Amino acid sequence: MAAKEVLLYPNSILKELCTPIEDWDDSVATLLQDLVDTMVAAGHSVGVAAPQIGETRRALVVDVSKSKLGKKQENHGLLQMVNPKIIEREGQTVVREGCMSVPDYTGNVTRAERIVVQFQDQARQLQVIRADGFEAIAIQHEIDHLDGYLFLDRVSSLKTDLFRRK
Amino acid sequence: MSHFALTIIGRDRAGIVSEVTSILYQLGCNIADSSCSILGGQFSMILIISHPELDDQQKLAESFAPLEENGLSVFLRTLKPGGEEHPDLQGEICMISVYGADKPGIVYRVARELGEKQINITDLNTKLIGAKNAPVYVMMIEAILKQGVEVEDVEDWMAGLKDELQVDISVRSITPMEL
Repeated sequence: MAAKEVLLYPNSILKELCTPIEDWDDSVATLLQDLVDTMVAAGHSVGVAAPQIGETRRALVVDVSKSKLGKKQENHGLLQMVNPKIIEREGQTVVREGCMSVPDYTGNVTRAERIVVQFQDQARQLQVIRADGFEAIAIQHEIDHLDGYLFLDRVSSLKTDLFRRK
Repeated sequence: MSHFALTIIGRDRAGIVSEVTSILYQLGCNIADSSCSILGGQFSMILIISHPELDDQQKLAESFAPLEENGLSVFLRTLKPGGEEHPDLQGEICMISVYGADKPGIVYRVARELGEKQINITDLNTKLIGAKNAPVYVMMIEAILKQGVEVEDVEDWMAGLKDELQVDISVRSITPMEL
């Protein structure tokens, strides 16, 4: 168990559709721990998804509690998610996102403001949680990784979209 | 490798980007950074380009002559070595919205305030909107706050300008969510 190197685009793994985890062997715990270690090692980023460390299985970790933005909002602390699925979305918000796998670029992305997400936790228990604000955005961003989407695929506007309507 | 700043502007119509990039492609130029947009009725292109061998600005400029013939204005400048590298700007990014009845000095007064405080403007857009008899000026500024400056400080600086210019100003952090 260790911090792994974060893959950078154009590594093709980042564009793959990850497979659900069904065989719950020891490798799942290792994967989750690697994700946590990688997140912490990356200056405590707020989340890492399995494909970012080269694994095409549906697992991710999110923890917004250590970030400046996340601290201000209610959150669940460290979340380890296997086979996560968003089952409800509410509201819309535009946020500027960046990604460790796409350095030196940020873009405005439209995300749901609040989500209900179901997943299996590290103990394989099914959990259903409601997340909002920064945490909801982080979860949506990381789940996108499991589907081979980067935020670049979600950019909704150039910086000055206010002026682009006419 | 030599780098150049290329600026092209002309009445907007379909095909401008294609004409420009066709020439760049045939020359073997790389487009590093670029930003293109419609300002007024003009399509404006700003590009940082490079070429592995070509360093003769005059020769390069001649290649753009067909564009001038098609009604586009072309300006080319050779960058000093290192001039193509994006500076590593650290700090919180904030967005400043300024809007109100159009009057002279809105851009200057806000920019002066920021400049005096050593706040680096990284993006600026202005637009005249609203009705002909009641024009409204809108300005959006992205700026990077130097160490020790908070969004609240910028709000304080802008408060005085609000009264002076009779405009509305709001400031907020838009530091990207690094995920």
